[in-house]
Amino acid sequence: MEEGIRVNREVKVAIIVMEGTNNEEEAYQSFKHSEATPEIIHLKKLEDRKKKLSGYDIVCFPGGFSAGDYVRAGAVMAARIKSSLMRDMEEFVESGRPVIGSCNGFQTLVELGLVPNVDGDGRLEAALAPNMSNRFEARTVYLKINRGNSLFLREFKEGEVIKLPIAHSEGRFITRDKEVLGKIIKNRMNVVSYVDGSGKEAGYPWNPNGSEHNIAGIANKNGNVLGLMPHPERVFYKYTESDWTREINGTGMGNRFFTSAVQFVREKF
Amino acid sequence: MIEEEVSTIISVIGKSKEELANISKKLHLGLSAEEMSLISSYFKNEGRDPTDVEVQAIAQAWSEHCSYKSSKIHLKKYIFGIGREKVVALGDAGLVSLDDDTAIAFKMESHNHPSAIEPYGGAATGVGGILRDILSMGAQPIAVTDFLYFGTKKVKGFPDPKFIEGGVVAGIRDYGNRVGIPTVSGGIVYSEMFSPNVLVNVGCVGVVDKKKIRSSAITEPGIVLIVAGGKTGRDGIHGVNMASAVIESGEEDITTVQLGSPITKEPLIHAVLEANEKNLLFALKDLGGGGLSSVVGEMLEAGGMGGKVYLEKVPLKEASMKPWEIWISESQERMLLAVKKENVNSVLGIMEDWDITSSVIGESENGNRLRIFYNGAKVLDLESQFMTSPKLYERPSLIEEKRIVQYLPSFPNNFAKLLLGMISDRNVRTREQVVRQYDHTVRGSTVIGPLAGIVGSEGPTDASVIRPNWNKVNGVAISHGSNPFYSKIDPYSGGKAAVDETVRNLISVGAEPLGFSDCLNSGNPEKHKVMGEFVEMVKGMHDSAYSLDIPFVSGNVSFYNEAGRRRIPTFPTILGVGKVEDIRGAITPDFKDPANDIYLVGLPTTDLAGSLYFRRLKKDGGRVPYSDPRTLKGRGWNLLNAMRSGTVNSAHDVSDGGIATTISEMTVGSEIGAALDVSALGLRTDFALFSEPQSSWIVEVRSGREKEFVKYMGEDAIFLGQTQQSALAITRGEDKILTVDIDQIRKKWKRGYE
Repeated sequence: MEEGIRVNREVKVAIIVMEGTNNEEEAYQSFKHSEATPEIIHLKKLEDRKKKLSGYDIVCFPGGFSAGDYVRAGAVMAARIKSSLMRDMEEFVESGRPVIGSCNGFQTLVELGLVPNVDGDGRLEAALAPNMSNRFEARTVYLKINRGNSLFLREFKEGEVIKLPIAHSEGRFITRDKEVLGKIIKNRMNVVSYVDGSGKEAGYPWNPNGSEHNIAGIANKNGNVLGLMPHPERVFYKYTESDWTREINGTGMGNRFFTSAVQFVREKF
Repeated sequence: MIEEEVSTIISVIGKSKEELANISKKLHLGLSAEEMSLISSYFKNEGRDPTDVEVQAIAQAWSEHCSYKSSKIHLKKYIFGIGREKVVALGDAGLVSLDDDTAIAFKMESHNHPSAIEPYGGAATGVGGILRDILSMGAQPIAVTDFLYFGTKKVKGFPDPKFIEGGVVAGIRDYGNRVGIPTVSGGIVYSEMFSPNVLVNVGCVGVVDKKKIRSSAITEPGIVLIVAGGKTGRDGIHGVNMASAVIESGEEDITTVQLGSPITKEPLIHAVLEANEKNLLFALKDLGGGGLSSVVGEMLEAGGMGGKVYLEKVPLKEASMKPWEIWISESQERMLLAVKKENVNSVLGIMEDWDITSSVIGESENGNRLRIFYNGAKVLDLESQFMTSPKLYERPSLIEEKRIVQYLPSFPNNFAKLLLGMISDRNVRTREQVVRQYDHTVRGSTVIGPLAGIVGSEGPTDASVIRPNWNKVNGVAISHGSNPFYSKIDPYSGGKAAVDETVRNLISVGAEPLGFSDCLNSGNPEKHKVMGEFVEMVKGMHDSAYSLDIPFVSGNVSFYNEAGRRRIPTFPTILGVGKVEDIRGAITPDFKDPANDIYLVGLPTTDLAGSLYFRRLKKDGGRVPYSDPRTLKGRGWNLLNAMRSGTVNSAHDVSDGGIATTISEMTVGSEIGAALDVSALGLRTDFALFSEPQSSWIVEVRSGREKEFVKYMGEDAIFLGQTQQSALAITRGEDKILTVDIDQIRKKWKRGYE
């Protein structure tokens, strides 16, 4: 164990939910099994100031269908946060502590302007549009890790190909304009990309939604915010990977995201 | 306000049978003249005529859907008594034991009639309803399943089967995905038999701490009734009466179908489980068919209590609703919570925290009368027992004697073509275009889902496995069995075959079967032939389950699946759950390595009626495959022991299309072929390859463990050959039967998807 890491430091995780959020259980368990102290918090409690973000070390926006996703996915959740909590949220991000959103949580982070945020002004630069196939897609995908400076990806090798489940109907990452996309690539913020089994970029179904540049996940410039469509929290252990009966050895693909973030807090804060 | 304004008096005393029948028709009560006479004489004793609230309430409770009046006598005789010592609790769902602390709650039921009228809403609310049944036991739902039966032919006056299929799938997808419970198991059968009577059978499985199991019985006075969740509206009025009658045309009353809201349901699940976790709930029940009327009556009656309810306290969608409409509305996403007085504020507080509407509407009292008030006026005053004890029918039944005529097909000259045709048959090939629209990994506990194998080339699985607790290694296996093709020919054997298939599927993943839920689909029970089929079916289910000593813990009956002259066969969909001791030893069908031994556990048969082989030849003849539960028990449990000892690499049960199709499916997810010699099987080669023997599996044995495996299985294991790279090759001694490239198999199986 490196010096200066407080192994027993309690790492508190705020898992933020509203009606329709439905991936909080696996997010909770993933943090719990990473030796953190997660807490599921209804957005209402933050709005009512019964809970404050500053009391936590990690913020997690789990997947689901917040508010039903009957308008653009994640938009209602983001609007509620913007109207009452944005200052707290921005302060949290600026402090360098980890923020992760998967699936609907990624959509929320994009709607909040926290990713990609290439220009640093928090404006809406991207969206997660309906899948090109025009239907809900539930499958395992191959992903290439381009670590960049993402604090969640420290336990992966650069260029490593991993497998994670996806399950969404609005996951096509599109940028506002070519300039935004260019800056994402230049800053190495496209940290998770869809590939085929051999690690090469390929079309549908390997890129399940038609995302620009095969982007599956995006980090902010500072590397402390990660939004991604795939679900690391659903494969914390090997035994929920869809092909585990063919490769019995190894650990779950998902747990490295969480243990890395928890460890990061213990190192830096 | 005077009484007449809120409810109407229905004059029934002294009316003739004809007049009573007319009243039933006019008020959409769905009751027979005989049942109306019982009501008439009850109120004669009470010395007054009933209110509209009262007759509507009785009609709900006495509907076929709520009362099981045509099936109860038979279910009691054949189904309810089996394996009782293994049942942990019964209620809206049944429970069996997973381990010392945990019980599995599960149920399957039909949502056939609503789905035939409005496919999207009908299927969606089917999922919603079954989730509430699991919640009613205090259990956390962990999986949703759905078994669907679609027609293939357009029937005049009814929607196109493609429209129905699209609507049903979208309804399940949009509800299941939004509510965040994985849809992991089920099936789709396509047949003309289901034009235009689509069947939607939905199941749900949950887990509960044994100390937190709740019942629906209110056994004390002064227990407060709280309605929580969605508001009450005019959607879903007379749903149960509609589900208890024959569909006459494609233009049924759409107001009988409820509207679902998964975004109300999702927090309701959390809130109810939180209240239960804190021991704040005395009893609870979901508001489904029959609405408040059925639920309040049943909860009080089960606990020997009376009670009072104030209808104006029920939160409404539409202020203009009449008391009888409020009382019988089947609006979705509602639960009735029975709470001790000292806990009422805590429960209301939890609901408030989750942004859920809730309201105190009444309480239990000593005695046996239920009294309903609306703005001070009494609109119902009845003995709850009168409502919940309808007349049971032992309807006349006719069992048809059928002459068995054997049919012998001419010997096929191209086995490869025959096999590839079967693999791409609609009832065999992949359902990925549907399955991949359902989220099967949400909750992060899906150990085996509906598909398994190499990513991007997945093949089918036999059962799903969920790991409900990340701190334990045990898992819950979930699967189904049903064969309407066999049932149509022979309802008794079809009932047995459904049990056999359920057990086979569970054992395939390495699970010990623990219990069944049965969803019984049939036609009009007033027809003697239909009732005869029904009785034969439950006898078949009984004979198998009794020998296996596995209980049926829940289920439902759906009669009246008829439209015009078309009706469905009488058959069950069975949902089975099993226990996987250690999920790390769970097994999938995809072959794992080349050069491993392949065995058939079982024996091919000459009974081919109802088989895919005969269906594709458009021929009928002989008997349907015979299932002997003692053989199933012997072989199945030996195989389970062989699996637990680690001798098995992969396993797949033999079903539609026989062992040739079974082995082909094992190549799909693995990109590994097989070289087999079928001489040891005897029989004609087409019978050996395509017959559908019951209680049979194909097994790939782990390298170096062959002797051990054979020791476990004895004579039940027949050596067929070995796995190999690239091709499926079948010979009979020196004769080549077929050689097919596994890429070709994969393409055929993925037809319509890739």
